[in-house]
Amino acid sequence: MSEAVGAPARALDPLLDHAPAGFLSFADDGTITLANATLAEMLGYAPGELVGRRLDTVLTTGARLFWQTHFFPLIRMHGRADEVFLVLRGAGGGDVAVLANAVRRERAGAWANDCVVVQVRERRKFEEALLAARKEAERARAQAEEHAEELRAANEQLEEQAVELELSQEQLREQATELEMQADHLRALNDELTERGIELERQRAAADDANRAKSSFLAVMSHELRTPLNAIAGYVQLMEMGIHGPVTDAQREALDRIGRSQKHLLRLINDVLNLARIESGRVEYMLEDVELGGLMADVTPMVEPQMLSKGLALEMEIPPRTVARADREKVQQIVINLLSNALKFTPPGGRVRVDAGRAGPGVVWLSVADTGIGIPPEKQVSVFDPFVQVDMSSTRRSEGSGLGLAISRDLARGMGGDLSVASTLGAGSTFTLTLPAES
Amino acid sequence: MPVEALSRNNVRVSGRGTQPMLFAHGFGCDQNMWRFVAPAFEDDYQVVLFDYVGSGKSDLSAYDPRRYATLDGYAQDVLDVVHALDLRDVVLVAHSVSSMVAVLAANREPERFERLVLIGPSPRYVNDPPYVGGFERADIDGLLEMMEHNYIGWAGFLAPAIMKNPDRPELGEELTESFCSTDPVISRRFAEATFLSDNRDDLPRVRVPALILQCSDDMVAPTEVGEYVHGQMPGSTFRQMNATGHCPHMSHPEETIELIREYLQPAHAA
Repeated sequence: MSEAVGAPARALDPLLDHAPAGFLSFADDGTITLANATLAEMLGYAPGELVGRRLDTVLTTGARLFWQTHFFPLIRMHGRADEVFLVLRGAGGGDVAVLANAVRRERAGAWANDCVVVQVRERRKFEEALLAARKEAERARAQAEEHAEELRAANEQLEEQAVELELSQEQLREQATELEMQADHLRALNDELTERGIELERQRAAADDANRAKSSFLAVMSHELRTPLNAIAGYVQLMEMGIHGPVTDAQREALDRIGRSQKHLLRLINDVLNLARIESGRVEYMLEDVELGGLMADVTPMVEPQMLSKGLALEMEIPPRTVARADREKVQQIVINLLSNALKFTPPGGRVRVDAGRAGPGVVWLSVADTGIGIPPEKQVSVFDPFVQVDMSSTRRSEGSGLGLAISRDLARGMGGDLSVASTLGAGSTFTLTLPAES
Repeated sequence: MPVEALSRNNVRVSGRGTQPMLFAHGFGCDQNMWRFVAPAFEDDYQVVLFDYVGSGKSDLSAYDPRRYATLDGYAQDVLDVVHALDLRDVVLVAHSVSSMVAVLAANREPERFERLVLIGPSPRYVNDPPYVGGFERADIDGLLEMMEHNYIGWAGFLAPAIMKNPDRPELGEELTESFCSTDPVISRRFAEATFLSDNRDDLPRVRVPALILQCSDDMVAPTEVGEYVHGQMPGSTFRQMNATGHCPHMSHPEETIELIREYLQPAHAA
């Protein structure tokens, strides 16, 4: 391939020289070989001044880059370039916007690149306006895309939040359902409790009714039983007195047994009657100031002989002016009961001790301690229940209905006091009666 | 193997040699710019030509503005072609902006390349004192503006319309033939990626031997830029050409061929 060599400058056809368009021809090495007067004038050069210069001198830097990277490869490969926009550099440094059409052809053994250059002053203005509008449109589109992207992102976020909300809602629904279920359960429980309450109330009422019926029955029955028992006692006494004829020793012994059995039965019936009275709330208490020392002085003679006969020592220590507000007769009944128990359950040679005192404001106490067989711990709570005795074997040995302690505690409570026990198996028991102190 | 790159990058393989010689075109054109040079190597090499996505007859639909916003995307195009053909011991001949694309590709996979031939390389076009790139930012803006003006007249409006006319595909062909860079918007972005790039830091890392071909009177990549590249690249060879301008493979193909042959000869003989 023959490389371009600078063709000698030659005179242009006068017609071409003054044509209403710029014309120039350049060699492959960029040397301008021809330039018409119109182009020279366009760029502020004197006619003929451009010839021999390098093409670079009439191109702005941007145009030179464009020339190198686009215009030159184009014309080199395709032999022509149409309507290429270029910004030329005038002699005074000003920019001249042009449209160039170029053709590459061999002339006189060398490659010549002929260009027609048309100034596009007005067109450039329009194009710039168009370009500005297009850039603005692109910016707007980019902005719109950005906004769309933001919207999409926001939308996605909203969707995520919606999903989260949906989940939360679902959770809330589940919780609500659970709460509802719990509420239902509680309602059911409440209903059940109410029903149970009603049932309990009903049962309590029934129990009260039954209790009242029992007390009433016992009262009537006791009365009905006491009458024939008293008759039995009377007839025994009559026979013992020999009113119905002489009594043999064997008959006397039998009568004695009948008499003892009758007394035992009567005592039992009295106890039952008392208990029934107490439980049905029909006992009346005659409250007065009871000096315990004096009370004990009255009671002791009633049990002392039996104690002595059984070989028991009775000790007593009661501070003076230990005064309870109570029903004297009932307190006596309780104390006798306690002493009888001690007597009953303490083997010969043992001791029974009575103490009393004040316990705190408004309370006096009296205790009966023995050195008897004692009560096992598991029995200590039930010892006050009716018909309970500490030991079945001792029930047989000891006389008693098993109602004494029950009656005693009921009486104590009826007077605003109480009766309690402390006991060590095999070492003895201590029963303590508390009562309100004197007013 | 990403064989998709073969059609995507309009890859063309020719030649009777075994060692691959891959030609990477510069900014503003396509593989056609090698038509005065590449045939000269077909006897001894497997000549591989391609178009970057967005150039020539590449698949325009594969253009991803993010990927090609920097030269890395173009380096990936080179590597994709290398992988698609499973090329080894490649002699990569790169023009202009492709020189830095080649540097990036060689730094990423040095084992694939035997030699680099860099024609008119520039790691940075804009001056950054004391570095001289040859241009001020305003000059680049002038170029970009000129490109816009060139596209606004016809390509900007006509090209997309014609491209979308399925009844007359020949119009699209004609348009492709009439100008190297097919899509004005892509070309404009390529210009930005090219002229505003800064690859100076990538130069010292190159381990593949390289030939730097420096044109005389190249106002796109002045001689001091070529010397700078040579100074920064270990193991590089610098050759000052008689050829003027920025496209010696088009304006002075014989000298270009000769210098490349001369450079490859010892390696080839060995």
